[in-house]
Amino acid sequence: MTAALHTPRNVVWKRLRRDYFGTLPSALMTFASFAVLLALGGWVLNWAVLDATFSATANQSDCAAKGGACWSVIAVRWRVILFGIYPYAEQWRPALACMVVAAVIILSCLPRMWSFRRLALTWVLGTGVFYGLMRGGILGLTLVNEQQWGGLPLTLFVFVATGVIGMPLAIVLALLRRSELPVIARVTGWIIDTIRSLPLLSILFTAAIVLPFRLPGFLIGEKLYRVIFGAAVFFAAYQAEIIRGGLQGIQRGQEEAAKALGLTYWNRMSRVVLPQAFRLALPATINQFVVAFMETSLIVVVGFIELLAAGNTAYKTGEWKFAYVEVYAFVAAIYFIFVFGLSRYGAFLEARMNAGHRKD
Amino acid sequence: MDLNAPAIDIRDLNKFYGSFQALRGISLTVRKGERVVVCGPSGSGKSTMIRCINQLEEHDSGDIRVFGTLLDDSLGSIDEIRREVGMVFQHFNLFPHMTVLENCTLAPMLVRKTPRAEAERVALKYLEKVRILDQAAKYPGQLSGGQQQRVAIARALCMQPEILLFDEPTSALDPEMIAEVLDVMVALANEGMTMICVTHEMGFARKVADRVIFMDKGEIVEEAPPAAFFGKPQNERTKLFLSQVLGH
Repeated sequence: MTAALHTPRNVVWKRLRRDYFGTLPSALMTFASFAVLLALGGWVLNWAVLDATFSATANQSDCAAKGGACWSVIAVRWRVILFGIYPYAEQWRPALACMVVAAVIILSCLPRMWSFRRLALTWVLGTGVFYGLMRGGILGLTLVNEQQWGGLPLTLFVFVATGVIGMPLAIVLALLRRSELPVIARVTGWIIDTIRSLPLLSILFTAAIVLPFRLPGFLIGEKLYRVIFGAAVFFAAYQAEIIRGGLQGIQRGQEEAAKALGLTYWNRMSRVVLPQAFRLALPATINQFVVAFMETSLIVVVGFIELLAAGNTAYKTGEWKFAYVEVYAFVAAIYFIFVFGLSRYGAFLEARMNAGHRKD
Repeated sequence: MDLNAPAIDIRDLNKFYGSFQALRGISLTVRKGERVVVCGPSGSGKSTMIRCINQLEEHDSGDIRVFGTLLDDSLGSIDEIRREVGMVFQHFNLFPHMTVLENCTLAPMLVRKTPRAEAERVALKYLEKVRILDQAAKYPGQLSGGQQQRVAIARALCMQPEILLFDEPTSALDPEMIAEVLDVMVALANEGMTMICVTHEMGFARKVADRVIFMDKGEIVEEAPPAAFFGKPQNERTKLFLSQVLGH
């Protein structure tokens, strides 16, 4: 990066010419790709901005007259997309709750917050505030049951809870799988492989619909939490294997050195082995989180109106049936913001962790 | 822990890997302050023997006592012995995700519950002793092999152990870096540290060892003070080994 900034202009020009226009075929390829990109970009720009209708009072024929995207549907229906069937008058609560979750996520991404006490405090506090805001029933807030939660806060809540429950579970499973006691290692291996061989849909169905028939009454709980538990177990099975891959990349001498210094098992794991394993497993871990974020949309099959399902309800009523592309583009943009942020954060972590390993 | 008992007392130690017997009836007593060099061909069990002392390897039969404390299956005795026995490895095994200073303060803070300020003071003292104080803020990956091994020695010293075990500390080093590590080890020996060194550095053995032990095929074949060991080796296998190591 910095090297490129300091390269003199004529060198950059020379490289461009050599790499993209070196031979006749490569020059033709460059021109052709450039033309395609330009045409595509122009078409999207026309549709999404120049010919688009933004007014909240426009209708289908107004939009059709201009020919571009009909963003009016978003202007009119955005609260349904973001908050689903949450009571209209109370929707400031999920809005605030979303900001709380976003703040908690951003805070825990900052390296200076990485101590057990700070993270635990942030999460317990954040979860408490989120839950209080969403469910109400305290401090004069009207009660809104989990069945009425919807849209972005529901998606975020399911994602974050899956990670918060699933990650510690994954660490425990990964450590048990490499236990020195063969029985424990093998049983853990079977458990992980069994969960991985089940489709997520069947796990969610089981958690939401079958479990209540089998569990004693006091264990059933709210459907949302059973579904989150199912998603977390599924996440943990995959993440455990990712962590195990990281553990296998660490030289045996690391643990031996920690043993020789007298460190206990938990100190050896938490200070020496796991930090290095996570560094090796980071790209796959970020990948797993991205997949988990996308998979939150599956909870629609057990009756939750998460972000994507809320988008569906937003255009399926009467006059906006034609505007599904706009609604999906809007929903996709929200997913993109979160997932792209996640990927960039992964890249930042990788760069930060590599810093210490570089030779100077 | 009884500091008047022998530092290390090994009785009839046996160790198997499957059906292969790596150690055959090893008996060895090391007094406090004694410097013992262990040599022998590769596969002779010398590393396995010292790795049994801090239980990086479990032995199958026989007794190991460190300052009178018997190593048994209880975790308590293993923890107690590891606190008093430091180890330096062939491949350094520094923690790559921590700075040199953090490598040195980790165990004292976690195991001895030393406050950070005190742990850092001690760490800086030992880093100065191994002449690497100016690298304290760097990561191991930024240091040369010789520097890394000196940090590893400082890290072991920070636990203020009674005994130091060296497992071929110079075998993985480039030739020009061996001297700087041996210098540090000689200085430690001269200060009276109880040391068991598995090494092929016969010059080091001559200079500092109180006793040289020759192992072959899992047995102690010969042990003698360096003058006798190098001057009048008794056993044929010792003579053969010495002629191979010193012969060129």
